[in-house]
Amino acid sequence: MPPLPKFLKNPLVWLGALLLLGALAGGAYVGIQAVQAAPPQPFPYVHSVHLQSGIQCIYCHPGVLRGKSAGLPTLQKCQGCHNNIDPAGKPALEAWADYASKNKTIEWVPVAIQPDFVYFNHNPHIAAGLNCEQCHGDVSKMTVAQSQGDQNMGWCLSCHTRQAPEKQVKLTDCATCHK
Amino acid sequence: MSDTLSRRDFLKLATLGSAAAAALTGCGTAARYVKRQPYSDMPEYTLPGQSTFYATTCQDCAAGCGLIVRTVEGRALKVEGNPNHPVSRGRTCARAQAALQGLYNPDRVIGPQMQAQRGSGAFGPINWETAITVVKDALQKTPPAEIAFLTGLAPDHVFDLVSELTAALGAPPPLRYGALGMFEARHTLAQAAAAVFGTPGLPVFDLAGAQVVFSFGANFAETWLSPVAYQRAFGEMRQTQDPLHSRGYLVQFEARMSLTAASADEWVPVTPGSEGILAQAFARLLVDPAADIAAAAQAAGVSEERLLRLAGIFARAERKLALPGGAALAQSNGLETAQAILALNVLAGNLGQPGGVQFWLAPAVGQDGGAASFGEIKDLVDRMNKGQVKTLFIHGVNPLFELPQALGFAQALENVSQVISFASFFNETAAQSNYLLPDHTPFEAWGYQRTSSGGEQGTLSSIQPVVTPLYDTKSSVDVLLAAFQLLGDETAPRLPYRDEVAYLQQAVAKLVQQGASFTSNDPALFWTQWLQQGGWWSSAAAAVNGAVPPGLTVPPPEYHGAGEFYLLPFPHPHLGDGAGANRPWLQETPDPMTTVMWDSWVEINPQTADRLGLKDDDVVQVVSPVGSVNAVVYRYPAIRPDTVAIPFGQGHTELGRYAQGRGANPLDLLSLRRNAAGDLAFAAVKVDLRPTGLTRKLARFEDRVGVYGDGKK
Repeated sequence: MPPLPKFLKNPLVWLGALLLLGALAGGAYVGIQAVQAAPPQPFPYVHSVHLQSGIQCIYCHPGVLRGKSAGLPTLQKCQGCHNNIDPAGKPALEAWADYASKNKTIEWVPVAIQPDFVYFNHNPHIAAGLNCEQCHGDVSKMTVAQSQGDQNMGWCLSCHTRQAPEKQVKLTDCATCHK
Repeated sequence: MSDTLSRRDFLKLATLGSAAAAALTGCGTAARYVKRQPYSDMPEYTLPGQSTFYATTCQDCAAGCGLIVRTVEGRALKVEGNPNHPVSRGRTCARAQAALQGLYNPDRVIGPQMQAQRGSGAFGPINWETAITVVKDALQKTPPAEIAFLTGLAPDHVFDLVSELTAALGAPPPLRYGALGMFEARHTLAQAAAAVFGTPGLPVFDLAGAQVVFSFGANFAETWLSPVAYQRAFGEMRQTQDPLHSRGYLVQFEARMSLTAASADEWVPVTPGSEGILAQAFARLLVDPAADIAAAAQAAGVSEERLLRLAGIFARAERKLALPGGAALAQSNGLETAQAILALNVLAGNLGQPGGVQFWLAPAVGQDGGAASFGEIKDLVDRMNKGQVKTLFIHGVNPLFELPQALGFAQALENVSQVISFASFFNETAAQSNYLLPDHTPFEAWGYQRTSSGGEQGTLSSIQPVVTPLYDTKSSVDVLLAAFQLLGDETAPRLPYRDEVAYLQQAVAKLVQQGASFTSNDPALFWTQWLQQGGWWSSAAAAVNGAVPPGLTVPPPEYHGAGEFYLLPFPHPHLGDGAGANRPWLQETPDPMTTVMWDSWVEINPQTADRLGLKDDDVVQVVSPVGSVNAVVYRYPAIRPDTVAIPFGQGHTELGRYAQGRGANPLDLLSLRRNAAGDLAFAAVKVDLRPTGLTRKLARFEDRVGVYGDGKK
């Protein structure tokens, strides 16, 4: 066995290396937590309350029935219900009423988002009978929507490859999602 | 560094550490960098992320191509041709593609303005109420005979409404004018058609069905009449599906190789002005193959053998066609030339036949007296000079740029007390107006346009807004109607239209029972279909009968000036009538023949250039009897040595950051010589070239070494 390089015989080097590894692992943990956590939103919207009131997902996100993008509800749509709800004493509702009085829309930060090279389309997924929660989790238990882990290609294919054989040609074709 | 950790090891560890940190923390989703803002009130038919397509009509020239504009969330993003439209059939030219840069142009007029002193540039904003009052006062207080309207070349709803308005007031009818109409000598062609076919108006030449086409300078690959329709027809002519017929054969007669000539099977560089003589020679040979054509050959500067060979090709063809191009008609003998070329079609027996001359019946909406001749514009200028025009309304045209300087429109304008411009951009004429009341740009506007000068059917093409107006602009028709309604109980009912859309609806309703492309008993449904499909079209064609006008002879051309060179100004293939010069896409698109961008050039044959000691990029002064311009030399092998050519479209002094101070306007060189139809004989000027000793490098796309061998050892 060749002799160790001279500097490795110094215990301080080992200690330093150990500390560095610890720092990196800690940094990685914090980093992963940070990127996977739901991003901060400009407005404290609570999904659970709305869903528990019996509102369906597609009432506010009707785009899934017709197109690629689920869409975000317009201020007018919010007003449809909220005009009948007194915001007094409820900070979130007061904040919303402030937006509404200025006819100002809220700049949301998307939670479930695909990279630019993925051409995702909601409509065929809904048409195929999927429910929203199969990809987005049980939103009725969330305040701010939470991201659902790795929505990567392997995850997509794990479902696409389970479909009927005659559909798989299309469902596993690169150009179906990467035009 | 310490003894235990060398610099090299420290750097290795540090690099590894930072790479790991970057990899671990940089793996976040794109979500961190994106914000999504919903509408507060979503427009109807909008679906986030989904495109909405609207059919409308291009208004960047008078051809009237049907377009489909893709919009996403209320923004127009892409223009394509309307596949069902009989003019464009799914195609567009570069100008339509760049029409978006008219909508989003940073130099648009964003609201109504006035300037106390004309030409001072000190425009101040006014509101639309004031603007409408100004128009009302102008209509009310100016004696009707002293009101004049100048509108653009397109036969559109603005022209029709203004025609009705002037008739209701007892004012002179509006004049339709545009530089492209002048370059195509439209009035001359219509006059010649009246003489030969008995039908005034612009004939349609069925290029697609022809076997042999003799084009006398008709630049249909660039701007002539309806370039998209004719280019498509040319493609069909070349790719005939009938296996028994060979592909069509195009011969182009003109002094300079244009893009059309470059696409032709043969280019015959003839002396400018000899086209009519040549057409008559071909006609004689068609009747008598032994006819003497020596004089014609000499006038055209082409050998007799070549003419006889070409005449043989023409005579043998079953379906033959002759096209009268603009420059051939813009000579002192232009009207006779037009008649001779149309008469060649008569002798070819192609009237009303496939591959021949046809006349689409324009939809029975509005009155179409045809484009104004140059003579009529000159009469207007004379009236202005005599102080007989107190209020001048200008819409859709930029006369200070599109008319020859020698006409003195600028000086005549000084005698007009009030100029009201509806321009969307600060162009040369708008800068000289008292009031600037900007109309919407085409993608924000309603309207219609009649098209019968090209394409497969006569069309009433629909124009609808594809986006909501970006700025505080207002439809000129709405402004005129609102002003007219204020004229009092006696006058106002003469124009019984609530607004622009009401005007359009009553016009379109006239077509409801006429059948053709679609029909409906319900005017509201008909209107919706008309908008959705991009227009209404009908194959109804007028019967074409013609006879060679008795005693028709084409006199030899006469030129103005004693210069050494024939001057051939031609409309720039992309910039058109010059209104395209403020679109960077069009400026940046290389000219198809020379690849020059962002500038004007003068095409000179290398032989001539060598004789004058001119190199590429030398600045030369082109001197005519009435003026001079400086332009950069482009040594162009495909032009006659006795001819120089300058594109029209640059040389703006206004029109915004992309257009101003760039190139030269060849109209400054033109004299006012007219042909017998009253059109400007713009190709009948002779000029001299004077080297200036300066050079200015042209921006060119081509490689001079590869194309011309420049710089080779």
